[in-house]
Amino acid sequence: MRLPSLILFFIILFFFSCQNNKSNTGVAPYDNDVLQSMIIDADTLKTFDFVDAHVEEIKKALKLPVPVLLCKDTLTALQKEAQAIALNDSVFIQNIRQPLTKLPYRCEIFGVYPARESDMSYVKVSYNLPDCYRVEMYNYALNTASVAIADTKQKRLIALLSQVQAQPDIPAYLKTIAIKIAIESPEVQKALGLKPTEKEALMASTKTALNRTRCERSRHLCVAPTFVKGDKALWAIVDLTEYKLVGIRWTNVGTNGVVTPVTERRLQDDKITACFCEQETLVERDGWSLRYMLTSSDGLRIAQVSFNGRPVLQSAKLVDWHVSYSGTDGFGYSDAVGCPYFSQAAVVALQPPKLAQLKDDKNNIVGFTLEQIFRSEGWPGACNYNYNQRYEFYKDGRFRIAAANIGRGCGNDGTYRPVFRIALAAEQNNFAEWDGSGWQNWLQEKWQVQGPATNYTAQNYQYRLLDNAGYGYYVEPGKGQFGDGGRGDNAYVYTTASKPGTDEGESDMVTIGPCCNTGYQQGPEQFIEPDPDNIQNKKLVVWYVAQLKNDDTKGREYCWAESLLENGVYTTKIYPCFCGPMFIPIK
Amino acid sequence: MIISKHKLFDPNGFSWKVAYCFLLFLGSLFLYSCKEKEVEYSNNNCKVSPPFINKLGFNPANSYLSTSDGQKIGLVLTEAVDPNNLAMGSTRTYQDSSWKMAGWLAPIQIDDKGNVFVAPVPFINVLHNPARQQNTLYKLEGQTGKMAPFINLPLPDSINSNNPFGIIGLAYLCESNTLYISTVATSNRQAEHGAIYEVDAATAKITGKITDIDVLGMGIAYTDGHRKLYFGKARNPAIYSVMLNKDGSFSGRPQPEFTLEGLGPRGDDKVRRIRLDKDGSLLVYGMEFNFNLIAPREKQEMLYHFVYNEEERKWMYAP
Repeated sequence: MRLPSLILFFIILFFFSCQNNKSNTGVAPYDNDVLQSMIIDADTLKTFDFVDAHVEEIKKALKLPVPVLLCKDTLTALQKEAQAIALNDSVFIQNIRQPLTKLPYRCEIFGVYPARESDMSYVKVSYNLPDCYRVEMYNYALNTASVAIADTKQKRLIALLSQVQAQPDIPAYLKTIAIKIAIESPEVQKALGLKPTEKEALMASTKTALNRTRCERSRHLCVAPTFVKGDKALWAIVDLTEYKLVGIRWTNVGTNGVVTPVTERRLQDDKITACFCEQETLVERDGWSLRYMLTSSDGLRIAQVSFNGRPVLQSAKLVDWHVSYSGTDGFGYSDAVGCPYFSQAAVVALQPPKLAQLKDDKNNIVGFTLEQIFRSEGWPGACNYNYNQRYEFYKDGRFRIAAANIGRGCGNDGTYRPVFRIALAAEQNNFAEWDGSGWQNWLQEKWQVQGPATNYTAQNYQYRLLDNAGYGYYVEPGKGQFGDGGRGDNAYVYTTASKPGTDEGESDMVTIGPCCNTGYQQGPEQFIEPDPDNIQNKKLVVWYVAQLKNDDTKGREYCWAESLLENGVYTTKIYPCFCGPMFIPIK
Repeated sequence: MIISKHKLFDPNGFSWKVAYCFLLFLGSLFLYSCKEKEVEYSNNNCKVSPPFINKLGFNPANSYLSTSDGQKIGLVLTEAVDPNNLAMGSTRTYQDSSWKMAGWLAPIQIDDKGNVFVAPVPFINVLHNPARQQNTLYKLEGQTGKMAPFINLPLPDSINSNNPFGIIGLAYLCESNTLYISTVATSNRQAEHGAIYEVDAATAKITGKITDIDVLGMGIAYTDGHRKLYFGKARNPAIYSVMLNKDGSFSGRPQPEFTLEGLGPRGDDKVRRIRLDKDGSLLVYGMEFNFNLIAPREKQEMLYHFVYNEEERKWMYAP
C-alpha cells in the first residue's frame, strides 16, 4: 500500500487555525509568529504546472548512460569541458547509481565555477589555476554534494570531495522555481495579503548548507524565499526535491541582521508544541463533540467526548507501544509517543493532528477521522519507527479507537503491542462478555485475551458496555474485518474500576510496562492485582492491548515499510498493521 | 590521559542483535591511559585507574567502563580484545550488582583517586529511571567498586513530569578535587530551572552553584591564563564559560563564548561534552537534544573543532 492509498476514504478537510477552538492549558503561549505559522500537509500537496517541463528533463536524464542532469546555467566552452571531464571520471560518478540495482539516482550539476586558490588546498599535483574549474554535483537521493576540480589543460580531475548531508549552491533556474512555488502558494499569498512579485522574494538562492534553512527531516534540498513586510519577514520553506511548499513562518527582521533561521524541524516542532501540546482543540461535528491534544507520552488524547449531547468517553489515549523481538529474550523497547519538546516520548509528532472526512466504500460521507502520525526521523531506516493513531467517529454514533505500526523497527521478528486506555463517561457501567449464548457480566476487575476460542455474536461483538440508563455500546474487536488491512488484534482486554481520588492513568502516564512481556502483563494488570475490585455499576476503564506480529515476507508484508527508488529519489512503501476496537451504540 | 569512547552504530552493516538504539548521552571511559602518574593540571588530567579493576583481574589497558551498552542497564566493565577496535569484541565483561541500582546511566567522571562518579539518564523510556531519582549522583568507590548514592541535589516537591531529565552533565577539576554537576530537573519549556552545582568530590558538600540555567555538556580548559568551565546550553547551541578560582569556586557570571548554530548536518546541535585537546584547541561534541527521549539510531554525535584566536581573544570554528 502506498502512502496516498492509505487514506483512500479520508479526504482532508482542514487544519484548525491555532487561534480557533482552542483552550489553553495554563502555560505561557508561544508568540503569534509561531501560532500563525503553517505546516503544509503532504496529503494536500499542491502541484505546479511550471515544474512539469523540468520534471520531464529529469526523467530523460535518468535514462542516459551517465544519468546526470547537466548544468543549466550558461557555461563557457571551458566550463562545459570541465563538466565533461568530471562526468567522465569514474570516481566522481561512482555514486550516481544504487549499488545493487544499478538504478539511477537523481543527480544534477549545479554549477561550474573558475577554481579559487582556496579550492586547491588538497591538490597534490602541479596546476595552472586559470585552467581549473570547480564542478559541483548534487545527489538528491543521498542528499550529498560532490565537488571535483577539473584541469582543462591536463584534461583530468585533480581533486575530488564528497560530503553527505550537504548541498552545493543552487543554480539560477532552481532559484526561479523556488520563488515561483512560493509566490503561487495560496498559503504565502494569504499570509502576505497579496500575491508577491518575484522581486519581493529575497534570499531565494540561500541553500540549506548556508545556514539559512534546512529540511533536516526529509533530507531534501530546501531553500527559503523570504518576503519582508514592515519589520517582519515571511519565510517560505520550499522543497526543491519534491517541488512543494513545506511551510511558512513569520520572523522579526531584527536590527543587526542576525536571525535564527526557520528550518523544517523548528517550524514543525514549534507549531505542534504551541498549537497541540499546550492547547486543547474543540471539535463539534456530525453530532460529536470532543476535545483533543497531544500529550507528553500518551499520544493523541481525546476527552469530554459526547454524541448528540450524551457523554460517551471521559478520555481515550495510547499509553505505550511495547515492541519485543522474539530472537533475543528481553530485547525490545517500550516506546511512548507524544510531543516533540519536553516530553517522555521516544517517537514524536512531526505533523499536526489531521481531521478528515470518513467515507464508506460507496464514497458516502459517514463521519470523520482524527489522525496523528508519530515518526522517527530516520524512518524507514532500521530501528526507526512510525506509529499512526486514528479515531473514527461515525454519524450513526459508532466510533473506533485505532492505531497502526508502519515499520520498520529493529527486525522482522517483532511483535507490537499498543496499550490503549479508554475511560468511559458514565458513572455506572456494567461490562459483559458474550459467552456464545448470552451476555455475562464481569463482576470484578479482570483481563481476557482474544483467541481462536473467543465467542462473538453474529455481528462480531465480543463485549457489551451498558450504563444504568440503558445506554451503552457493543465492542467489536479487530478480526481483520475493518477494511484497513488489519489482520486481527489478538487483543488483551482489561476492565478496571475508575477509583475516586486515585489516578490510575487519567493524567499523563509514565511508561506502563516493559517491552517484552509476552503474556497479559502489559501494564494494566497493576490496577487489578492482587485484589481485583468489584466493577458492577461502576465508572469503568477499558484497556485494550492488541498484539501485532510484523512480517517482511514478500507479498505478505505487515507492520513494515521499505524504501524504493522512484524517479531517482527515495520514496517509502508502507504496510501498516491497523488494530483497535469498534464501539457500536446499543439502540 | 583519559579517552572517552562512544560506541556508535556501524553504518556499513545492520544486525538486529546489536541494533539497539544509541542514546548519545551514554558514554564509556577507557582506563588504560589512567596509568599515567603525572598530574597535568594544564590539561586538567589527573584521573587514576580505579584500583578495583586490577583486583577483578581485568587488564586496565584494555578495559573500559561503559554506560552505553544498549542491552545492559547501568554500568558495565568491559575488557576489549583491541581497545582501538571495539568491533573485535570483548574478552569478558563484569557488572557488580550495585551498578544497576540507578537504572540507565550516562555521564561518567573519574577523580584522582580512581573513584567513579556516574549519573542516571533515562534511555528510550522512564521505566527504570523515575523522574524523582534523576537528580542523584552516584559514586563507585575506587577501591571496592561498590556503587552508592553520593549526593542528592535539591529537588522541589512537585516536579514536571514532561521533563524526564535531571543530572545530565559532569566535569571534574583536578586542582581542587571539585565536581561540576549540571541538572535540568524541573525545567519546562517556559522556564529554565536548571543549575550547575559545584561540589567537593571528597565530602559531597555543595560549595557553589549557578542557577536558572539549563546546561548539557561541560568541560574545563585553561585559556588566557584562566581556568574556565566551558558549558553548552541545553536549549540552544550556545557555549558559555565561567571562570574558576584555584579552589574551584565560580568567579563572576557566565559569559557567551561561541555557538554551534548552523554547524554540522543538523545546524542546532547541543553540546554533549567539551574536551581540551593536546594542542590547546577545544573538541566540542554535539548532539540533538530537545528534552525528549528520542534515540534515533542514525544520529551520530558530531565533533566540532575550535581553536583560540589569541589576537581576537575568541574561539574560532576550524572545520
